[in-house]
Amino acid sequence: MAAFPFLWTAWGSFKLEPDFMSRIDWMNALTGPATTERTGSAFTDIAYQGAWIEQQFWRSALNTLIVTVCVVTLSLTIATLGGYALARSGFRYAYWLLIIALIFRAMPHITLVSGYLLPFFEMNIWGYLPTSIIVLVAINQPFTLWMLHSFFLTIPKELDESAMVDGCTQFQAFRLAVMPVMWPGIVTTGLFSFLLAYNDFTVTSILLSQENQTMVPKIASFLGSTQIEGKVMYAVAAVVSAIVPLFVLILFFQRQIVSGLTAGAVKG
Amino acid sequence: MVDLNLKNVCKRWGNTTGVDNFNLHVKDQEFLVLLGPSGCGKSTTMRMIAGLEDVTEGEIWLGDKMVNKLEPKDRDIAMVFQSYGLYPNLSVYENIRFPLKVRKVDPGTHHERVMRAAQMVELTELLDRRPAALSGGQRQRVALGRAIVRKPAVFLMDEPLSNLDAKLRISTRAQIKNLQHTLKTTTVYVTHDQIEAMTLADRVVVMSEGIIQQVGTPTDIYDTPANTFVAGFIGNPAMNLIAGNLSGDIFEGPNVRIQGLQTEHTGPVTLGFRAEDAQLTEQHGQLSAPIYAIELLGEASMISFRIDESLISVRASKDFRAQIGSDLQIVIPASACHLFDSVSGRRIV
Repeated sequence: MAAFPFLWTAWGSFKLEPDFMSRIDWMNALTGPATTERTGSAFTDIAYQGAWIEQQFWRSALNTLIVTVCVVTLSLTIATLGGYALARSGFRYAYWLLIIALIFRAMPHITLVSGYLLPFFEMNIWGYLPTSIIVLVAINQPFTLWMLHSFFLTIPKELDESAMVDGCTQFQAFRLAVMPVMWPGIVTTGLFSFLLAYNDFTVTSILLSQENQTMVPKIASFLGSTQIEGKVMYAVAAVVSAIVPLFVLILFFQRQIVSGLTAGAVKG
Repeated sequence: MVDLNLKNVCKRWGNTTGVDNFNLHVKDQEFLVLLGPSGCGKSTTMRMIAGLEDVTEGEIWLGDKMVNKLEPKDRDIAMVFQSYGLYPNLSVYENIRFPLKVRKVDPGTHHERVMRAAQMVELTELLDRRPAALSGGQRQRVALGRAIVRKPAVFLMDEPLSNLDAKLRISTRAQIKNLQHTLKTTTVYVTHDQIEAMTLADRVVVMSEGIIQQVGTPTDIYDTPANTFVAGFIGNPAMNLIAGNLSGDIFEGPNVRIQGLQTEHTGPVTLGFRAEDAQLTEQHGQLSAPIYAIELLGEASMISFRIDESLISVRASKDFRAQIGSDLQIVIPASACHLFDSVSGRRIV
């Protein structure tokens, strides 16, 4: 049932607008008479060509790639180091730091972003990818930090301690003993921050200029231009293009995600 | 091989004191056991020796080197943890090899050393397994193997047997004793189990609330406890303790009157005797009380009596039969009695 809209869209993306949006018969979207009439085949890649080449959707895809890779790398680096430090320091401030972090995470993004707008204009950094990356990392960080923190808590302290007695420095103990058992946690957390960066609309639509847009706001702008025939189909094709990588990713990491979500614990 | 010296070692967290003024000299090749109830500071002491915990005050000397400020890795120690602390992603072989690897020991010698250690802890069959595929006893043997592979100056063992079941505990205990005898490495062993302490130790340190109560051989500690804490902690059952009054050579307490005690002391004291030193009799006993419970132990019976708030146990033969509640007399020879100061708890005789 959940897959139905996606299948419908995927199928329809190879049709022309008169079929996909047909008012005569909804079956037209499946059989595609108008498409056959105009192109000679029931399937056409016109929408994809239009979106990717004519409207330069490839540029948005590239931007999305840059943004997600940077956001995931940055927030994972900060969160693994920070989460480990918070999990191992017994001080009470660790708890309050995390609580404050979570409050910011709970706020709607738009409240944060609208506050950023004016200073960003003044500092002349509005519209660029690095700005959005930093904002996304900032919004994302509390959650990844919290998540990895609780993953680190499930790893017994004896693991680092025995590594240290065996001859490691604190950092070596972290790298050689703790990190190898942390992979499920890191993959899961990384996936969550990937999804946040990939699916984000609020931040990227407000903070990026037209030519720097990522996929999601670009799709929104396709949808906004319905006056010209065929434009909607660009959006449809773009949506399908944006979803495919997600499917591939989830299929690929399926096992780690499930084990990371359910267990995460490592018993020596 | 080195000796280990702790001088006035203290550990405090804010206002709470974990270990107070700990002075101890562990001789080269000695097997020393730190014994005490949970929260007595024994593990903290060991973690300070290992360098996993900062020392608030005092000095720790390993041989002729003060190690207070050294990282754990620079102290030349090996530690075995209660929960093993194995690396779950590495095989048994790699687990044992890990210390050699991170300490950059000549790689040519690794295989031979790992195999020798594995042989000593009887793990040669299981070297390819991951820790998750091992039983508790096998895991603890991997931890032991990892500790001995490097030939450290001191072994530290933090309740290594506590996670094992009773039967395995006995065989692993014997194995640890044998290993220490073969390797002749100075060993500090922490436990709350007095049988482990008695069977393994050259010397036992009994601790309570961060303070050393008594240091001595297992026999010393059992036969001449230094205070009422040690008397009430060591032995199964622990020593019977009765509060009373001493005048001349006569001790008098509730239901008790013992004559012929060799002491100059007078006034309120605590009298102690062990369950196996007393005998049941029909009449003319030093203590008389109704039976509270009879417990059959197999090789003997334990008869308990209730005097004031405390339970007194006396050992009887395994075919002893009597009704609960019936009155009995107990012979307590004056020579088997221990006397403790009733205020400080310190030993008088």
